[in-house]
Amino acid sequence: MAGLLQGEVMLPERIADILGLGGPIGELIAALIAAFIVGNIMLAMTGVAGPWAKRKITAAFTDRYAVDRIGPFGLLTIVTDSVRLLSKELIIPSGADRPSYDIAPIILPASALLGFAVIPMGSGIQLADPEAGLALVFAFASIASVSLVMGGYASNNKYSLMGGLRAVAQNIAYEIPLIVTAMSVVIFAGSLQMSTIVAEQSATLISLGGISIPAWYAFVNPFAFVLFLAANMAEIGRNPFDIPEAPTEIVGGYQTEYSSVYFVLFYLGEFLHVFLGGAIMATIFLGGPAGPVLPGFVWFVIKIWAFFLFTQWARSALPRVRIDQLIEIGWKGMLVLSFANLVLTAIIVGVIA
Amino acid sequence: MSVELPDTTGVVEQSPEELADLLGELVIGRDDHLNAPGFVIKPDTVVDALSRLRDKAGFDHLSCVTAQEYEDRYESIYHLTKFADRTQEVSIVVPADKENPVSQSANEVFRTADWHEREAYDLVGIEYEGHPDLRRILLPDTWQGHPLGLDYDQDQPQVVPLREHKNPLLEDQQAPGESETMYLNIGPHHPATHGVLHVKAVLDGEQVVDLEPDIGYLHRCEEQMCQSSTYRYQIMPYPDRWDYISAGLLNEWAYARAAEDMADIEVPEYAQVIRTMGAELCRMAAHFLALGTFALDIYGDFTAIFMYSIRDREKVQNILEDLTGQRLMFNYFRLGGVVWDLPEPREDFFEMTRDFLDELPAALEEYHDMITSNEILQMRTINTGVLPKEVAKSYGATGPVARGSGIDYDLRRDDPYGYYDKLDWEVAVEDGCDNYSRLLVRMREVEQSARIVEQCIDLLEDWPEDERNIQANVPRTIKPDDDTEIYRAVEGAKGELGIYMRADGTEKPARFKIRSPCFSNLQTLPEMSNGEYVPDAIASLGSLDIVLGEVDR
Repeated sequence: MAGLLQGEVMLPERIADILGLGGPIGELIAALIAAFIVGNIMLAMTGVAGPWAKRKITAAFTDRYAVDRIGPFGLLTIVTDSVRLLSKELIIPSGADRPSYDIAPIILPASALLGFAVIPMGSGIQLADPEAGLALVFAFASIASVSLVMGGYASNNKYSLMGGLRAVAQNIAYEIPLIVTAMSVVIFAGSLQMSTIVAEQSATLISLGGISIPAWYAFVNPFAFVLFLAANMAEIGRNPFDIPEAPTEIVGGYQTEYSSVYFVLFYLGEFLHVFLGGAIMATIFLGGPAGPVLPGFVWFVIKIWAFFLFTQWARSALPRVRIDQLIEIGWKGMLVLSFANLVLTAIIVGVIA
Repeated sequence: MSVELPDTTGVVEQSPEELADLLGELVIGRDDHLNAPGFVIKPDTVVDALSRLRDKAGFDHLSCVTAQEYEDRYESIYHLTKFADRTQEVSIVVPADKENPVSQSANEVFRTADWHEREAYDLVGIEYEGHPDLRRILLPDTWQGHPLGLDYDQDQPQVVPLREHKNPLLEDQQAPGESETMYLNIGPHHPATHGVLHVKAVLDGEQVVDLEPDIGYLHRCEEQMCQSSTYRYQIMPYPDRWDYISAGLLNEWAYARAAEDMADIEVPEYAQVIRTMGAELCRMAAHFLALGTFALDIYGDFTAIFMYSIRDREKVQNILEDLTGQRLMFNYFRLGGVVWDLPEPREDFFEMTRDFLDELPAALEEYHDMITSNEILQMRTINTGVLPKEVAKSYGATGPVARGSGIDYDLRRDDPYGYYDKLDWEVAVEDGCDNYSRLLVRMREVEQSARIVEQCIDLLEDWPEDERNIQANVPRTIKPDDDTEIYRAVEGAKGELGIYMRADGTEKPARFKIRSPCFSNLQTLPEMSNGEYVPDAIASLGSLDIVLGEVDR
C-alpha cells in the first residue's frame, strides 16, 4: 500500500509541470514557489488566529465580548492590528547580546515553517516526502527551544533568562515522551514516511451499519493519542504548561524585552508552532487530510484548527502548574507512561503481525 | 438569634490594677485612653513590659504602634490586645527624650513591631534601639526630616540629586564568592503585585531565598491630611481612599467608630442596620475582587473566573451605587449615622438586593466548581505559602489571613459594633494555614456577609416608618477635650482597621494614626515565601489580598 503512494506527485513537481519549468534551475524555482505557497497558507492562518480567532475564542469561553468593531465580526481587526504592531517602536535593551537578540525571533517562526515542508496537507499539497519525515518534523520543531533560550539569554533581563531556562527544562522533559509516543505510531505504520503513515490510517478499522470507521491511530491507540496530546501541549508551551511565559510570574519570560516586529515574529512563531503541533497530531493520529465529502485540504485545516481550539480551551480553563510540578509530571509520569505504551504496542504488533 | 460568641474559656480578664501589679516597678505613670488603661514606662523597659503582658497576661496581639511628638517629649504607644478576647486592651506609653528620642524596640517580643517602628522612625523620628533594620519605610531613603515631627519644615526642598538616590539596580550584584543566588526586582511594575509594590527578591534558581517588600510608592500623607481636617465633615472622605477596592464603607466605619466613641455620639439603631448592610456589601465586593485576582495569579490568564467575579462585584457595586450615590468613593457615613436614607422607592432597592442574594448561592457553587475543586489549583495552593498560627499572631496578621491560619478572630464578633451582635452569622475559620485556606475563608465570608445583608434587609423592610432615624443629633463642630486619646478598630475587608486619635481641644485631631491591616499582613510575605518557588511567592502575595492604597496610606 505504501508503495502505491510512493508515486504521488509532490507540489513542486506539479508546479513545475504546470509552468513548464525544467532542469535544475526550473526545479528550484518551482520548489521555491511551492514553499512560498505553503508558507503563506500557514502564515495566513496564523494571521487569522493571532489577532482575531484567539480573542474571539477566549472571549466566548470567558463570557465576554471580543473584537467586533471593525469589519464583519471584527475581522478587519487583523489588518489594523498588523499595522499597529508593525508601527510600534522597536526598543532594544542596553546590554542586549546583539546578533543572538536579533536572530532569536527569526528562528522561532522559521523552525515551525520548516516543519510544514513534510506535512501532507491533502489535495496534493506536500512539499517533500522524505523517508525520515517524522524524525525530520520533530527535529525542526525542537529547534524552537534554541530560539527561546537565545532570546531569553540575549535580552539581558533576568525575567527573560528565567523564561529561557524554563523553556529548555520543559522542552527536554517533554520532547522524550513526545517522540517515544510517536514511535508507537511508527511501529504500527512501519515507516517514518509521512505519506505512508497517512496511507496506513485509511484502512477500515470496523464497519458500523455501513459507516466504516477508518483505522486512525487515535482510534487504534487512544492512550497514545491522549499522551501525545498532553506532551504536545507542553512542547508548544500552552496552558497549563505555558511556564516559559507565565505573565503573572515572570512577565512574559523570554519575550519580555521584545517589541514591535521582533515581538510579532515571536508571537507568529508561537502560533505557527501551535499549528505545527496540530499538524503533527493530525498526520500521525487523525488520518492526516482524510475525511468524508470535503476535500482533503479542508479536512486538514479543520483538524489543525480543532487542535488550536483545544489549546485555547485549556488556556481558559486550566490553572498553570508550577515549574517543579511540570518537570515531575514530565520525568516521573509521562516518560514512564510513554515507554510503557511503546513496549506494549511493540508486543501487540509483534504478536498480531 | 445571634452570632455565636467566641470560646473565651481560659482567658483571664485582668483589671487595670492587676495589670499595674504585673508591670510593677516598670510603671512610672498612668495615661489612660478612652478604651484602654495606659501605663507609662521607661524607654529602656519596653521588651520587659511587653513580654510580661504577653506571657503572663495573654496580651498576644500588638495591634498597632503609634508614635507622636509633643512639645516636651516624643511618645510611642503600643496598643496591645488579645486574639482570644478583643475587648481587653492596654496601651503601653513610652515617652522618649525630646533632644535624643531613643526607645527600645519591641521587635523581639512582637515581629510586627519591625515595620511599625520603622514607620514611626520614618514619619516621626523616634530611634528604636535594638531594631534589626531601622530604615525609612514609606519615604525614600534620601528624605530630609520627619514629616510628622513638630519642627518639620514643609517647604524644605526635597529634590535630591540622582547620584544620591539609591539606585535599586546598584544592589544588583552578587556577593563575591557567592554566585549561587540572583537578585531580582519584582515590581513596582509587575502584573502580579496588585499595585505599585516593589519586592526585592533573592533567588536560588527558581526558589526564593529571601524576599523583602519595599513599600511607600503610593504614600499620600493620609494621616497628615486627616490631622489637618475637622472631625465633623472633612475627615470622612479620606477613608474611602485607603482600601479603595470597594471597601469604602468598611473604612469609613473605622473612622466613624473611633470618632463617635471619642465624642460620645450615640448612633440610631436604624442607621446602624444600614451601616451593617452597606459594610457587608462592601466586604462582598472586596472579596469578589480578591477571588478574581487570586485566580488570575494562579491561572495566569483572564479566565471565566475573573469575569464572573467582576460580574458579581458589579452587581454589588450597583446596589452600593443606589445606596450611596457613588461607585468608588462613597462618603456615605456621617458621625452619628449615615448621610441619607435608603433610596426611594425602597421596594425596588430591596428587590434588587434580594435578587442578588438569591442568585448568590448558585454563583458561589459555580466558583467552587471552577476554582476550589480544581485539582491543579489544589496542587498549586495547598501547603504553599504556609503561615503558622503563632507566626501569624506575632506578625499581627488579621482578617482572612489570620482566619486562614486558624485564628478565630473577627472584630465584628469579638469587639461588637454596629448591629452585628444581634444578627445570626458565623466567623469563617480554616486551619490549613496555606494559600488554599485563605481562599476558602474569603469564599465562606461572602456567604456569611450575604446572610448578614439578608437579615438587614428584613429588618429595614419592617422598620417602623416613624423611627427611621438616620442620624443622631450631632453638633456642627466637635471639639473633644484636650488630651483625649482613643484607639478603635473595626473589621475591614482585609482585617483589623484601627484608628488612633488624640484630641488637643480643637476641632482637628492632633494625631491621627491609621492601623492598616494590609500593612501588617504584607509583613508576613517573607515568612510565607522564603524557600518556596517563585510562582508560590506570587500566589502567596495574591492570597494576602493587599491594597497598596492601604499599605502606604
